[in-house]
Amino acid sequence: MSEKNTYEVGISSDALKQPRRVVFITRNTSAKVKEETGPQLMSFPHVILRETIAFQILTIVLVGLALFWDAPLEQLANPLLTPNPAKAPWYFLGLQELLHYFPPLVAGVLLPTLVVLGLVVIPYFDVNIEGEPLWAHRSPRRLQIYIGVFAVLFVFLALYDAWTVLVPTAVVGALGLVPYFHTTNTSRFQKFLGSRPLPWWVMTWFIAVALTLTVVGTFFRGPGWSWVWPWS
Amino acid sequence: MATTAWTHERLEQLRQTRVWRSIFRRGPARTNRTRSLAVFGNLALHVMPVKVREKSLSVRATYYLGSISFFLFVVLTVTGILLMFYYHPAVPDAYRDMKDLIYVVSNGVFLRNLHRLAAQAMVVAVFWHMFHVFYRGGYKPPHEFNWVIGVGLLLVTLFLSYTGYLLPWDQLAFWAITVGTNIISYVPVLGRPIRFLLLGGHIIGQNALLRFYVLHCVILPLAAVGLIAWHFWRIQKDGGLTVRDDHE
Amino acid sequence: MPGEPNAPGKPEEKTPVSRRDFLNEIAGGALAIAGIGAAVVTVNYSSPNVLFEPPTTFRAGSPDDFPVNSVTYLQDQQVYIVRTDKGMWALSAVCTHLGCITQWKPESDQIACPCHGSKFQRAGNVEAGPAPRPLPHFSLVLGEDGALVVDKLEVVKETEILKV
Repeated sequence: MSEKNTYEVGISSDALKQPRRVVFITRNTSAKVKEETGPQLMSFPHVILRETIAFQILTIVLVGLALFWDAPLEQLANPLLTPNPAKAPWYFLGLQELLHYFPPLVAGVLLPTLVVLGLVVIPYFDVNIEGEPLWAHRSPRRLQIYIGVFAVLFVFLALYDAWTVLVPTAVVGALGLVPYFHTTNTSRFQKFLGSRPLPWWVMTWFIAVALTLTVVGTFFRGPGWSWVWPWS
Repeated sequence: MATTAWTHERLEQLRQTRVWRSIFRRGPARTNRTRSLAVFGNLALHVMPVKVREKSLSVRATYYLGSISFFLFVVLTVTGILLMFYYHPAVPDAYRDMKDLIYVVSNGVFLRNLHRLAAQAMVVAVFWHMFHVFYRGGYKPPHEFNWVIGVGLLLVTLFLSYTGYLLPWDQLAFWAITVGTNIISYVPVLGRPIRFLLLGGHIIGQNALLRFYVLHCVILPLAAVGLIAWHFWRIQKDGGLTVRDDHE
Repeated sequence: MPGEPNAPGKPEEKTPVSRRDFLNEIAGGALAIAGIGAAVVTVNYSSPNVLFEPPTTFRAGSPDDFPVNSVTYLQDQQVYIVRTDKGMWALSAVCTHLGCITQWKPESDQIACPCHGSKFQRAGNVEAGPAPRPLPHFSLVLGEDGALVVDKLEVVKETEILKV
């Protein structure tokens, strides 16, 4: 049967007849990261070789250090005598410093659980995927929320005298405001700060606090968890 | 020159033997097909992809932090197994065995130092790896679940380090674990029972040492191996490593 | 309604469960019971019934061994025997914060914990530091032979003082 050809403009919904991929992205939903292209290499030998070299370098460094840096061994465990100070391994010293300010339920159970949960849910929040700079719209409402959150934090921390947490919070909080207020003659650093999205600021705050707590717990705490200057 | 040629010829002959070809099926990896098979057909390596994007291989892309974490785990496993030859997880043997390892056993002090050093380095490496993956957006879809697996690995690493900390049975070990297990008892409802199960009793003694030893040498390493395999597998299946655009 | 000839709609019929679904449910239920059972058995197994730990009841000598207005630390038991002119009591030496062993400081009349700086009075009350609760008092009684007996498993109120 031959019919007179009639042309219609449109996109057929029959994928077999008209294989065309059309993507509809609804506003305010997350899209997948676009497929990255670029030159590819065979894993064997390129990846295997590089990993082998990395392993060898790591081994050399470790062995070199292990030959000179002795692991500590104190006296036999004595359940009747607590050493003063009794410190946790260094990666928990930040936690131990936190325990100095807050009750054990808060510092030992609640906060670590919240931190872990916070980490786990990062990839499931759109604000962490879109990567929009924090002050992209210079919204006054956002500024209000920002200052409000920091005010509550400060009050809470000051109430508990937790200045080891308060100082890095203040520093990062102040840095976060720089791109909002200072818009002329921006240096490279200010441009960098201005382009940082909210998740960047939250993580940087977290690292700043954790680092400060760990450093203080390691070097600035002595017997009875009292403040000591490490050089004295 | 002649000796190298002779050696090459002998090697080629060896490779043609029935025995060799029954073990190594694919032949030398000189074509892209055999190079693919070197990864795809390998029991250990096929968790990796056959091809990778070139820019993900530069040092600045990842600083190889994930690989370093894994290599440190390998070093810890090897040194740990060797240390097990001389260590009795009993009170008071444990402390005596530590002294034995340091002062009597050949290369004992070296192996112990290496083990402890690698342990500290691994904690640093996994934290640094996590922060670096975060800052380059490696958690974004479709890599979300791999990030969650990574958090699981972080917890396993910390718990491995913590259980290992008790094993020397010195003052440092004993009181660090005392404080830690007392924190656990502050968990509402389940805190005390969990502490009781972990210590095998009310005090940090014989039972606690043995349980921490089993956790440290069997349960947690098995969990780590499983999660590591899954973590590598997800990298491949989710589309490979994420590289920041400005690091090309 | 059943019985009415021209009812507008059919009454609700219960959809019968297919044999496949029924067997699946039974199998799933059995697996769940087996799984939960395995977990319970494992936890019970891991929970020791016999503990080889130091005895918690001990004899502390006679009251004359403790002068009036003194605080004596019994190192083996981690207990303070406190005697005042009103009487005697046994105080736990384990800090209520995170379990470190406290020390009696006669020069400041305080029991101090080295870990996070908690300070207690000789009655056990918290004077300073992060300790959430006072040091517990253990039961202190006079045995038949005139020796003091302390039971660390029995915590008593701080108003219970042994009069000697």
